[in-house]
Amino acid sequence: MDPLHPWIDADEVRRLAMRLMKAPREPEVSVADAGFDEGFVGFAANRPTAPAAAPPPAAPLPERVTPPAPESSPAAARGPFLERIRRFRDWMGGQFAASGIFILDREGAVIFDENGHNRLHFLARSLALASRRPGTTAANVHVKIGAATTLEVIPVETAYGCLVLGAVVPEALPPAAVQSVMTALAEITKPGDGGGAR
Amino acid sequence: MINIAVSSQKGGVGKTTVAINLAHAFARAGVRTLLVDADPQGSVGLSLTRQSRLLTGFYDYLQDPGIALDRLIVPTRLETFSLVASGQASDYEAAGGMGAHLARVRTFLRGVEARGFDLCLIDTAAGLFGVTGDVITSSDAVMIPQQAEPLGIRSVPKLLEGLSRLRIMNPRLTVLGVCLTMVQHELAESAEAAAALRQLLPPEMVFRTQIPRDGLFVRASARGLPVGVLEDGAGAQAVFDALRLEIEAKLEPPRGAFG
Repeated sequence: MDPLHPWIDADEVRRLAMRLMKAPREPEVSVADAGFDEGFVGFAANRPTAPAAAPPPAAPLPERVTPPAPESSPAAARGPFLERIRRFRDWMGGQFAASGIFILDREGAVIFDENGHNRLHFLARSLALASRRPGTTAANVHVKIGAATTLEVIPVETAYGCLVLGAVVPEALPPAAVQSVMTALAEITKPGDGGGAR
Repeated sequence: MINIAVSSQKGGVGKTTVAINLAHAFARAGVRTLLVDADPQGSVGLSLTRQSRLLTGFYDYLQDPGIALDRLIVPTRLETFSLVASGQASDYEAAGGMGAHLARVRTFLRGVEARGFDLCLIDTAAGLFGVTGDVITSSDAVMIPQQAEPLGIRSVPKLLEGLSRLRIMNPRLTVLGVCLTMVQHELAESAEAAAALRQLLPPEMVFRTQIPRDGLFVRASARGLPVGVLEDGAGAQAVFDALRLEIEAKLEPPRGAFG
């Protein structure tokens, strides 16, 4: 009796195995660029915030023309995409004491980052990829990046595909908060009535 | 220094036997070797050190930043071979989220390197999460003992998925491969499972050397010795010498010789 094949997808196993046996690659960014200096001791290390880099250009996404609504949620008021994301950032700060956020697209390109978190981008994307199991969507993950700071990484399915939100918060967000963040980001990036590209 | 995690998805696959005897093989070859028991069951310590439960060990070090590394290192009669037991904190440290001990694990490994060891071989707990995940994401290489029996081999997809995730966190990780253990050629199911695994995985992912099921290993651990030290252990030692040579060959091109 074949001891394996009724239980194992041999092609998938071989594919995984071949990938693992490739020579190890150097990280796509250096340890320092990933946010850690030569004395890297792991996610618990506390280090000063990197000097703010010039804000990357926002992706050319459609503007919104809906008049602003009362700001009970970050998505309530509409406006240009960048403005809505900034409102979302402020909402994250107010609701969850986030000291900064950044948003990456599925390829790792920066959609939004006004606080120079570029050292955390590689880490966030790696975590988002690592959290994904075959056949499932990516889940949120968090790592401690300082004595009193945690990087919360939340992949969010939006109208523009899966975006990766990184938020620097004092402590890991509870599941309900993560859900509300996902909903808010999906909503704020949703093209609405009259919101077509210009 | 090279550090190698000896890990498996499933428990009871002969991981500790491989770790002890492989470490001994390296040490006999003149490689300054530290064998670390990172398995909360403390099997290395239980095998080689009768007082292992009294020793301060790896998990104590993770728990208490005040513990100095030198307190952990236990020399053996072989000058090039030292041990670190799992410690007394290990009873309640099996679980825990991944990343929780990463900083301390890396501090540990830097300390080991600073003390002049050429090789740190780490016998981890089964599974690829918690402290084991932290060890693998801090290691240069991982080898995977795998029992030659159908049930164990069916866990291989899960193992590969787990390693793939860890390799994202540690892109420098070399996967040395799977080492078939407890092989019983006289038992059809064992031989078939071994053959099926070799057919399933790329040849370079399965060590040519395989570890037979042998009463010698039971006798060796009963006496607190690596199998090669037994008077009739030369044959078994030769198996681990062959495994050592395979590992050296896999590591040599990118990393240079040990030491």
